[in-house]
Amino acid sequence: MISRVAEHCFWMSRYLERAENTARILDVNQTLLLDFQVPLEQQWRPLLIICGVNDMPGKPEAEAVQHFMTWEPANLSSIVASVAGARENARIIREVISAEMWERLNYYHLWMQGLQARALYESSRSEFYNQIKRINQLLHGIAGGTMAHGEAWEFYQLGRYLERASQTARILDVKYHILLPTPDQVGTPVDQAHWVAILTSCSGYEPFHKKMRSPADMGVAVADFLILEPQFPRSVCHCLNECRSAASAIAGQNGSEVEVQFADLANWLTKSDITEIIRNGLHESLTTVVNRIHEIGELIHRTYFDVSMQSPPLKRAVGQSQSQS
Amino acid sequence: MNAERSDQGSLFGDYQRHPTAWDELFDAAGEPHPHCNLLVDCLNQLRLGEFQKRRTSADLVFVNQGVTFSVYADRRGVEKIFPFDLIPRPVAAAEWVQLEAGLLQRIHALNLFLYDVYHEQRILKEGIIPAELVLGSKGFRKEMIDFEPPGGQYIHVVGTDLVRDAGGIFRVLEDNARTPSGVSYVLENRVVMKKVFPQLFQYCRVRRVEDYPRRLREALDSVAPAGAGVAPCTVLLSPGPYNSAYFEHSFLARHMGIELVLGPDLFVHEDRVYLKTTRGPQRVDVIYRRLDDDFLDPHVFRPDSLLGVPGLFHAYRAGNVTLANAVGTGVADDKAIYPFVEDMIRFYRSEEPILNNVPTHIGARPEDCAYVLDNLDKLVVKAVNESGGYGMLMGHTASAKERLEFRDKIKANPRNYIAQPVVTLSTCPTWTDDGPAPRHVDLRPYIVSGKTSWVLPGGLTRTALVPGSLVVNSSQGGGSKDTWVMENGK
Repeated sequence: MISRVAEHCFWMSRYLERAENTARILDVNQTLLLDFQVPLEQQWRPLLIICGVNDMPGKPEAEAVQHFMTWEPANLSSIVASVAGARENARIIREVISAEMWERLNYYHLWMQGLQARALYESSRSEFYNQIKRINQLLHGIAGGTMAHGEAWEFYQLGRYLERASQTARILDVKYHILLPTPDQVGTPVDQAHWVAILTSCSGYEPFHKKMRSPADMGVAVADFLILEPQFPRSVCHCLNECRSAASAIAGQNGSEVEVQFADLANWLTKSDITEIIRNGLHESLTTVVNRIHEIGELIHRTYFDVSMQSPPLKRAVGQSQSQS
Repeated sequence: MNAERSDQGSLFGDYQRHPTAWDELFDAAGEPHPHCNLLVDCLNQLRLGEFQKRRTSADLVFVNQGVTFSVYADRRGVEKIFPFDLIPRPVAAAEWVQLEAGLLQRIHALNLFLYDVYHEQRILKEGIIPAELVLGSKGFRKEMIDFEPPGGQYIHVVGTDLVRDAGGIFRVLEDNARTPSGVSYVLENRVVMKKVFPQLFQYCRVRRVEDYPRRLREALDSVAPAGAGVAPCTVLLSPGPYNSAYFEHSFLARHMGIELVLGPDLFVHEDRVYLKTTRGPQRVDVIYRRLDDDFLDPHVFRPDSLLGVPGLFHAYRAGNVTLANAVGTGVADDKAIYPFVEDMIRFYRSEEPILNNVPTHIGARPEDCAYVLDNLDKLVVKAVNESGGYGMLMGHTASAKERLEFRDKIKANPRNYIAQPVVTLSTCPTWTDDGPAPRHVDLRPYIVSGKTSWVLPGGLTRTALVPGSLVVNSSQGGGSKDTWVMENGK
């Protein structure tokens, strides 16, 4: 298929997934802060750091950060920019995605631009975040049920799970940033509540309890679940496996470096168990995961989107880079 | 809809034809033309109420399928439906045979003309057409001199605008030899008509238009460069979703089974054109481009074009890719050249033209120019190299101020203008809030040429929606009708 079309599919679904996860991160942070006294400086700044935002003007206070991460169009990680980005990518490939999908996505883009979304945001913050999550879930449902499951679909899946793998890692990392537990706090009821909030934000509360009955250490068990549980659809390993199978479908019989890289990363995680990961530093491991995923994203770009003659001397005939962030 | 009128009335019961124009359905006595008898009978059996119902369902089909165009003047780029009228515009079988012959003759002469002006220039040397008109035309591309386009074909697709005058004679209003659009409406209109009036198609035998995409694909494949192999890679190059005709580009690509590509999807390496695909670069053999010459290649034409492909023209000249239409066809549909097309037919084919032009005064000729300036109120003045009804003066309806403005413009640059007497375009019954009423129409048939030429039986009938208006362009608020070439003259 044409590289540009594949790239738009990939980014449409990444942006949709990103909008959902930004809503999840904002939601979990807000929920965590409800119950606990956290020094002001540690409340919202860490959230900006894990979203990769370092140019927010003003002080990182609750309302300012939520507003910047929700409504600021110039902030490419904001929800409004993510929905607009998804819609813009979809608009260009209208004939590739289904009509239903385009209509719904367009509808929600217009909803975000209108007064109704603002009113919901002002009146009920958590219901607003829930609504954002539902947009992505609904669109994924429509896509799965109406779009041909060919190569375009595989790029759509690839974008979705690649974004989700990195976002789950980031949500887990909120824990590290928000409260550096001193060793004597580990396993206390306060600490437990944090982990429950994080599980809930990943829709993992019930599946977690079905899988892990009365764990000795809640934190270790949650990290285990969100990183390594192969059956949970938001765990890092599950997402990496989905990425690998999409990459494999795209590459066909010959295989590809992208597929190999996904497998390597998943193997790197699963070869050690969760205690080992935590001993090496949870934050450090999660940072490695996020960085590796970013590198694979660049590899996907080079392999599939930025096609040119490989043979030297390589003359870059078309200089326009389509990279998005 | 007029309140006094019953929904049970017959469709044409109260139809009043235009006092002077030729009517496409009814003769001067108000009787249907012989080839329209069956159609009028069938439509009359529909009560007005029933017709209204079908009209609503047809509108819905267009909205739902997003058959739209966007208008440049509208800053928000809002997409509009091309208003569609359900009463078809019939053409008698025998008359179509004549039209077809005339169109083929004309397109052949235009193609020979292009070959000539980019090679020997005999027609200029023999003084048939003033050389400065050709060489000074915006559409003339010196880069094309001495170049042999693959298959010898320049104009792969042409849309020729025809009008029928008050005497019932079809005349050519203009040739669109660059990137004519509108054919997707012909095909979509037919789909809707078949849905809304299935029985009519059973009774009136109407020639099919559905072959167009296949014919175009075959024509393009047939002029692939030597070495392209049996299955050439043909793509449609579009300026992108912001272009007013993007719907058509996507429609044609889907129906022809070829990829729709944008400039940045292609690149040139060692004079060969490649498509960037997820499986790596793929050689491209034929480009059906819906992009003007100016934007094709920033290395050769407009350097600021982001829509084109750097190096494309060089690859074209190297004979490694076919562009359809060829570069430089604009000189053949220049409004200043148009008045000479009949002479071209005589010159290259030693025949009399089967289809005639509308009589035309040429700004570049001093005696014509003087006549135009003295008779602005009786003429339609057109700026050459403008399309879509922009840069036009309808002398008989314009205000004195508008006429004065045009007078100054013509004096400043006479070569830029031509003028024609006002042709009373034929009318066709068209649905209005008060039932069917006469509205002016034109006809744009499409001719596809590869190694041979083929005329689409039918074409786009554009209709003015405002009473008395002679402007039918979609960008100026016109609508369209399905054109029915009847298989038999009954």
